[in-house]
Amino acid sequence: MRISDYIEQSFSNLRKKKLRTFLTTSGVMIGIGALVSMLSFGRGVQKNITDRFKELDLFNYITVFPRSEQSQAKQSSANNEAEEDETQQVRVLDDDFIQEVTKIKGVESAFPEVRFPALVRFKGKQKFTLIQVLSADIGRSGLVKFRAGRPYAPDDANSLIISDILLRRMKVKDPQTAIGEKIEVSTLMLDSDLLSPANITSVIQGDKLPFSQEGYTFTIVGVAERMGFGGAMPLRSDVYIAPAASKKMKKVSLTSIQDFFQSSQQAKGYSAVNIKVSSVRYIEPVKARIEDLGLKTFAVIDELEEIKTVFIFMDMFLFALGMIAITVASLAIINTMVMSILERYKEIGIMKAVGASDRDVKKIFFFESGVIGFLGGVFGLALGWVVSMLINQVANYFLAKQAVPYIDYFSFPWWLCLGAVIFPILISLVAGIYPASRAARVDPVVALRHD
Amino acid sequence: MNSTSFIETEDLTKGYSSGQIEVVALKDVNLSVREGKFLGVTGPSGSGKSTLMNLLGGLDTPTSGRIKVQGKFISELNKEELALYRRYQVGMIFQSFNIISSYSALENVAFPLLFAGVGKKERKQRASQMLTKVGLCPRKDHRPPELSAGEQQRVAIARALINQPKILLADEPTGNLDSTTSRQIVQMLSDLNKNQGLTVIMISHEESLVRRFAHEIIHLCDGKIVEQEKIR
Repeated sequence: MRISDYIEQSFSNLRKKKLRTFLTTSGVMIGIGALVSMLSFGRGVQKNITDRFKELDLFNYITVFPRSEQSQAKQSSANNEAEEDETQQVRVLDDDFIQEVTKIKGVESAFPEVRFPALVRFKGKQKFTLIQVLSADIGRSGLVKFRAGRPYAPDDANSLIISDILLRRMKVKDPQTAIGEKIEVSTLMLDSDLLSPANITSVIQGDKLPFSQEGYTFTIVGVAERMGFGGAMPLRSDVYIAPAASKKMKKVSLTSIQDFFQSSQQAKGYSAVNIKVSSVRYIEPVKARIEDLGLKTFAVIDELEEIKTVFIFMDMFLFALGMIAITVASLAIINTMVMSILERYKEIGIMKAVGASDRDVKKIFFFESGVIGFLGGVFGLALGWVVSMLINQVANYFLAKQAVPYIDYFSFPWWLCLGAVIFPILISLVAGIYPASRAARVDPVVALRHD
Repeated sequence: MNSTSFIETEDLTKGYSSGQIEVVALKDVNLSVREGKFLGVTGPSGSGKSTLMNLLGGLDTPTSGRIKVQGKFISELNKEELALYRRYQVGMIFQSFNIISSYSALENVAFPLLFAGVGKKERKQRASQMLTKVGLCPRKDHRPPELSAGEQQRVAIARALINQPKILLADEPTGNLDSTTSRQIVQMLSDLNKNQGLTVIMISHEESLVRRFAHEIIHLCDGKIVEQEKIR
């Protein structure tokens, strides 16, 4: 028998039992649809993360932190006595360090991370946020994507850039309307009055904190997207000001409780410095040079392997869920095929009487199984795609209200599409082994007597 | 064994076990049929006629003894070789026609060609020619429920002959037909025997009908040949 005849016979036989074929194929279709949706979601998330990281150049950044007191103590106890006698040089993250680091081969730029808490008031709404000091150069680089307005000038002490997300939280929907508007920024500063002998008792008792607010007025010159969480490495806040503006402001630069416990020496410098290298291959040598100076480093690329492991687990979990559906579908295929054999018992006898070999009969049922898998795969892929697209549209519709840009949460790489068709065929063929062997074993003499 | 025989059996025995009971359907049957002959097989129900037919048709294998067809011992063939024997050397027709009710007359006749690896176009062409020979060409697209019993049996004959076998085995072909149609069908088998030199072995209850057309008749009883008669 020719392969084309096997395929034609399979479609023809399945057409004769339309409802049963439809129901069995639907089982495979739903299983494959679920598997495709879940795997494409997993792929989509991975693709989005890695693509975003690449787009934001995150793999090219190293963040440098001063070594904590504790880790320094650990290090010195591990060293021998001779070394312990030496004075531990704690490297401060200051402008000298930045200049020194910029000279290392592969380093493109280095900039301090200066952030301080503040309260912003705009059009009657107020929000707490962290304000970041960002040089005008970075503001002008491609990292900051403006939705409206422009970057500030290096010496501009009265302008700021705000994120579209923060604006939206303050009920401003059109970024353009915010440009040129005044915005109030209040910083925290130590209140010397409260620290006077007359008031110190209430501070000690915890009734009051020794802080007061200092207000400043800025003009919004730019509204940018993808800042704060999910933004590029140096853009970790929702409000940016130029160094010139920072200098004029009275503030306590505390971003976390850890800042309280910094040594006085460390406190002189920045809490962190971001370094951009020109290529990923410079990450390791630059990190090594900086760590030699007794500083701590962090690079996103180091986390990539860990992220990949998480992705593998996520894929396995999604795959396992999909496989449950596929297993149920394959049991349905076995059931359908066994039913088909019982119904076509006499027909199998006729096939053998007119010259079909056991192998021919086995292949006829095997191909029928495979065709169910093929149909289930093709329609399952279509179903998975449609469902994914719907979820994607709905998710983006709701996230757009929170100023989250449009993202494809699902990805359909070629291997997923191909696998969605081939995999159910293979599963169906496996499910068809038992029914096909059973059909081949049918005794023609008994089958021909069958009514 | 006789070298001039076309079909020959030697101590052919077939037993079945039904639980602990052993049933012997055929016992030491020795038969010889020459090429181009029409052999009639008669006997009461349960005498082993159909068992003999299934063994000669390669649908079943003997418990002991040998079957030789055209010089080949078919009782020694494996399953694949037996399938080829059924496909090309022997055609079978049955009392209940055994045609597929969901297929048209044309598809039923073309069915054996599918296993012979014949292309779709040629299958249709050859099946159509065969249906013309049995006088059913105008009914080729009809399904078995739309055909009379006689027409269905003619479809079965056309299907049995589609691969041009040398032997035609007919197991009670007139069992479900009225007397007129029965005569027409046996006449058709006789014509095939005379005009095309087809060796025909036909089982029938109606001895008078067999006697009209067969060259030789054997009578089976309890799995044994009890009488062998040359008519012409």
